[in-house]
Amino acid sequence: MVEEFPESRPPVEPPPGELSAAQLEALLFVAERPLARKEIASLAGVTVEDVDALLGDLEMTLHERGLRLLSAGEHVQLVTAPQAGRLIARYIGADGGRLSPAALETLAIVAYRQPVTRAVIERIRGVDSDYVLRSLLHRRLVVEQGRADAVGRPFLYGTGFDFLERFGLTSLDELPPLEPEAALRLDE
Amino acid sequence: MAPATPVEISFGNGRRPEESTHVRSDYFDGPLALLLALIEQRQLDVLTVRLGDLAGAYLEALARIDTGRLGLLSSFVTVCSQLILIKTRALLPRAPQIGPGDTAAEADPEEELRRRLIEYRMFRDAGRVLGDRRATGAWLYHREAAAALAAGLSGARPDPGPPLAPQLLADALMASVRLVPPAPAAPEVMARTITLEERADVIRAALKRAPMIVLQELLRDVTDRVVVAITFLAVLELAKGREVAIDQTEPWGPITVTQLVAQKQADDG
Repeated sequence: MVEEFPESRPPVEPPPGELSAAQLEALLFVAERPLARKEIASLAGVTVEDVDALLGDLEMTLHERGLRLLSAGEHVQLVTAPQAGRLIARYIGADGGRLSPAALETLAIVAYRQPVTRAVIERIRGVDSDYVLRSLLHRRLVVEQGRADAVGRPFLYGTGFDFLERFGLTSLDELPPLEPEAALRLDE
Repeated sequence: MAPATPVEISFGNGRRPEESTHVRSDYFDGPLALLLALIEQRQLDVLTVRLGDLAGAYLEALARIDTGRLGLLSSFVTVCSQLILIKTRALLPRAPQIGPGDTAAEADPEEELRRRLIEYRMFRDAGRVLGDRRATGAWLYHREAAAALAAGLSGARPDPGPPLAPQLLADALMASVRLVPPAPAAPEVMARTITLEERADVIRAALKRAPMIVLQELLRDVTDRVVVAITFLAVLELAKGREVAIDQTEPWGPITVTQLVAQKQADDG
């Protein structure tokens, strides 16, 4: 269940070699899946640095509007703004269901400590977390992110696009800070 | 945010998320959660509380656990034994230091457990903050035209528009009849076994001939619903094992299956 997105086929025509902010916005609007920065760069025939700069501009412009730029790792996607969430939910009939306290604390460990193995989650929670982790994987709030370089090559878990969307975050940088006193004490 | 008193402990019946039909509330999924609840119930501070003093209360709570779930119980017992050890150490005089660095190397079990509690509480509280955030409904949605359209048509929208024509029902029925034609009557009754492995081999064989297959095409001449169902399960199994990738762009649309051998080898290597 590693989060993978198909790459587009190599275009037949040579790339135009230029990309404007408007073109980038239009491309992201049409794409119904997250696009990799390097995929956008190769489509337009520009460098990844050009794409990054334009994405930065786009993010600023979008703040006035009903859309946001969601970014997780290499991939970016246009999403609706948090303040439109309830309205869109009414339209598509979305119902996220309830997350148990166990699911939320497990998700918090994955979100703040990613990439993380099941063993680390279980050490922190002090209890077998197979069931709860599987439920989070099932809901795509947690995704596999390869395997650890440890004995048995255990799976590494992290959060994906669905997590960011369901918690109204446009990137992991927006995660609420952990309790500073506890974090400090644990660093001792 | 201390939970309501008294402390109740129960475990869900379902082990797998897909099997669980049981909504659990106010339950302590873990020994640290229970210990923390006992501390918070008494309005004590995790940083300063003498953990050994809670051994009795913890044992009492433990006694109420449903003993049908011994696997989960063991983690509670581990913490319980740590609490008893801490309590014992507090009561008994410490043995004199025998060798150099002997006691220094030995971690204080109370500090160890306290550290775990602090770490656990940090993530539990972070989870609650995330949960509150999620509950505001300020979710983000990406464009998924097919899903939005399907949701809209299924009446999930507040205003469903004009009622559906009865002819649509008749058409849908005809479509479903065409999807799986009725099997001709079997000449005789005989036992048969269709295994997942067998159907997986059929898919693998088909993928050897073509880089990508459409599941509906593969099953075009199959009239047996069980074979159709097992083949579908076999595809899911193969996808789970990362042998193939499956894709379906719209509900009822073609299900394409592509081989992922290169990916698999890369993973294995």
